[in-house]
Order: sequence, then C-alpha cells, then structure tokens
Amino acid sequence: MTPVAHTVGADDMVAYLLADVAAGAETSLQGAATGAVTAQDAISVFHKIALRPIRAGETVWRGGWPIGRATADIAAGAHVHTHNLVSAHATISKESK
Amino acid sequence: MVRGPETFRGYPRPSGRPGIRNHLLVLNATGLTDAAARRIAGALPGTVFAGTMFGMGMVGRDAELHLAALSGLAVHPNCGAVLLIGADRTRLDQLIAVLDRDGRPYAALGLDEVGHDAHLLSQRGLALGAGLLRRLSAQQPQDCPLIDLLLAFECGLSDPSSGLAANPLLGRVADWLVDAGGSVMLGESIEWLGTEEELARRAATPELGRALKQAVRRRLDLAHAAGLDLLGTNPNAANIKAGLSTIEEKASGAVQKAGTRPIRSLLAYAETPATPGLHFMDAPSYSPESLTGFVAAGAQMILFTTGLGNSYCSALAPTLKLSANAATAGALGRQIDFDASGLLAGRTMDDMADRLIEEIAATAAGQLTYGEIMGEGGEAISRFGEAI
Repeated sequence: MTPVAHTVGADDMVAYLLADVAAGAETSLQGAATGAVTAQDAISVFHKIALRPIRAGETVWRGGWPIGRATADIAAGAHVHTHNLVSAHATISKESK
Repeated sequence: MVRGPETFRGYPRPSGRPGIRNHLLVLNATGLTDAAARRIAGALPGTVFAGTMFGMGMVGRDAELHLAALSGLAVHPNCGAVLLIGADRTRLDQLIAVLDRDGRPYAALGLDEVGHDAHLLSQRGLALGAGLLRRLSAQQPQDCPLIDLLLAFECGLSDPSSGLAANPLLGRVADWLVDAGGSVMLGESIEWLGTEEELARRAATPELGRALKQAVRRRLDLAHAAGLDLLGTNPNAANIKAGLSTIEEKASGAVQKAGTRPIRSLLAYAETPATPGLHFMDAPSYSPESLTGFVAAGAQMILFTTGLGNSYCSALAPTLKLSANAATAGALGRQIDFDASGLLAGRTMDDMADRLIEEIAATAAGQLTYGEIMGEGGEAISRFGEAI
C-alpha cells in the first residue's frame, strides 16, 4: 500500500506522514493538497516531508502558519525536523539580535 | 453544520453554574491538614479531594490568586456540598464567607478546634462528611440550558496528530457551543506563540488584542530571562521525538482548539468568565496547574487532546481524553475516551464533531470517563511567587 502524507493547506511546504516510510518510497498526499512525493529519507510516522525544495533561511509554512525557519537547503522529499528547521522565537541569541 | 442538544443534565446550585456531578468536596485549605483531609475523603465514597499544600506566608498576587483558586474550587459546580478542613479558623473563615454567599451546604473543621489532634479531626470530619453526603443524595439533576455550560480545552503530550485533527475537532465543538450560547476556555499562554497576531485580530476589542499579545510575550520573556531555550522544554523531548519541531508548529496546532469565534476576554488564573463565549486564560501550560485554573474558574468538564497519551485528569471536572493518533487510541483503549483517528482516515470533521458532542452530552448526563473510573488526577493550584 502506498504510504500517505496529510496536508493542511493547499500551498503547504510540508506534509505529515501517516505511516513510517522508507527512503525512495513514493508517498501520496491527502487533505488540502493532492499529488505525490518521493521520500528522500526514511521518515517516521507523523514526521514531516518537504513537498518542494526549501532554501536555507526560508520560512516554512503549514496551514497558513509559519512553523519555523529552514537552517539548511532542504530537497523535496527530505525529512523536515529539528536538524533543518528552527523556531523563529525559541533561541535567546536570535531574539536579542 | 454541527447539531447538538439544546440542554444538558445538571444539578442546580444556589449560585453559579449547575453541576454535571454531585460530589461532596473535601477541600483542604492548609498544607498541615493535607493527610487528615485525604484520610476523610478516602473513607467516604462519593467524595472528591482538592486543596493546597501551602497556606501560610504567601504574599501579594500569589496570595490573592491562591485564595481565588481555593474559593473557586469551594463553589465548583460539580460539588453539591463542601467539607472545609484547615489548620486554623482564620484561613477557613475566608472560605466560609465564600460558601455563605453561595448558599450550598457545607461544614468546616479546624485542627485548632479539636485540640490539634489529627485523629480527632479525621473522626469528626467523617461524621460531618457523612451528614453532607446524605443531604446530597436527595438532589436530582434537571435539564439546564447550554448557556450554563463551560467547557475547558487542554492538550497534553501532543504529537502532530493533535494539531492536524484532534485540536481542530475541539475547535468545531467550541464554535458549536459558543453559537449555542455556552462558554469555552483555553489556557497554556506559551502555546499561543506565533499565533498572537491572528488571535489579536479575533479579540473582541483592540485592548484585549494587545493584552493577548502581551501575555504571550511575558511567557517568552520568562523563559529567556531564565536562560531557557524553548526547544526541549516546549516542545519537550517526547513532542520532538513524535515529530513536532518548533514551538510555533506546536502552538499553531494547539490554538486550533479555539475554533473561529471572537475572543471575549483574557482571564487571570482561576478567574470565572463574566460573559458567555470564547475565553483565554493566561496561565502556565503544565496540565495539573492548567486544569486547576480552569476548574477553579468553574469549568464543569475538560476536553483533553493527546497525541501520545497524557493520563492526567482533573479531580473535580470529568476529563474526556481524545486522541487522533490511531496507535495511541488503540494502545490506550481504557484511557482514551474518544478515538478521533478516523479524521486522518477519511471521516469528516462534521461527522466526528456530531459524535463527540453526543459523547459530551452522555458524559454530562453521568457516563463516567476512564479518568473518573480509575480515580486519575487531582488539583494543583499554581504558585506565583516566593513565600515568607
């Protein structure tokens, strides 16, 4: 069975996996967006997959809300999590700039 | 369009909202008498226990909010009668004044009235409690209008399924109840972070919008002043492992609980909303103290979403646990009261909201939550400063 990823908004930059996927697995989208994306990494259930390339520094949007800022270039299909996404609020050094 | 009942079953009270339960509350007003008060409550079936481990030396806002919370618990809708226990009459007199104004049956017993003998306190308390329970047992619930219903919404041990499905489901329930004339409250101020501008736009007045933004800013400043990076605290390690990456990702999922109606007020900890509608409480986010803030404000029931399975419940307000994570709902089938995972497998939000509202009505009418069956939970009043 093709793994499914859930989207909140039609223009979302990430989708949420509804099952664990292996790298290379074709994943179909449900929710506000449709289509498919190929996972570049092994990604756990409920973790995020990039739906398009995201540049370092770009704000990542989901369901009309910013959910953080990319800290590295992220390829479509890659795992998006704390290794490449950071809060715009949570770190002290950034707030004081 | 969500359709629900127009009334709920409630026990009328002399003042304030009707209750969906008819407990005897043993309310312990001082830390010294905690064990004796628990002993009394434990020996009397049909009794719930709440109270404080503090009582002396609190000052200023901390003292005010502590008394406000204890007062709110004393006249909680779900308690038909109250047995006040404390070390000294002074502390009890403040709560006696609250109960006299309210009018519901109560008894009060101070350790200084029984020669500082905890054995005697337990014995006398049992007899007083037994008398109150007999009076309570004669009361009957009746149909009450939804304007008298105050639901509080919480999320705990969230994962992405909370923000994707379970919290939006509560948002649908919030819109239904607000449109029907009832009231809804949310708290956990730090979990509004990143959504303040949108919340401010939904505020009933510009002043309220500014207050909402300031409340979030104050929590963030509190974290930063303590040298704390929110990552690892909120979201915590379990949230992160489950897939939540940032506080704004978690928060934008959490505020889905608020639905879409205007925000009527920003409440202080334990403050009762003055009007029907949707209200936000500026309060800490850890479940035990957060829930007690809602309960002291008069919430008769809590709807509590979880991703991974937070088991905590209020002692006074039946706490309905929901999860949209199919694995969690399956593994914790005797802890999660409502399985919302169908939302991520093709069920519509309206269909699921109809089912949840039926569950809320059944719970109000007496169906026990798993938390009630297990006796999970308690009440914990927040502290807001150092004591002398």
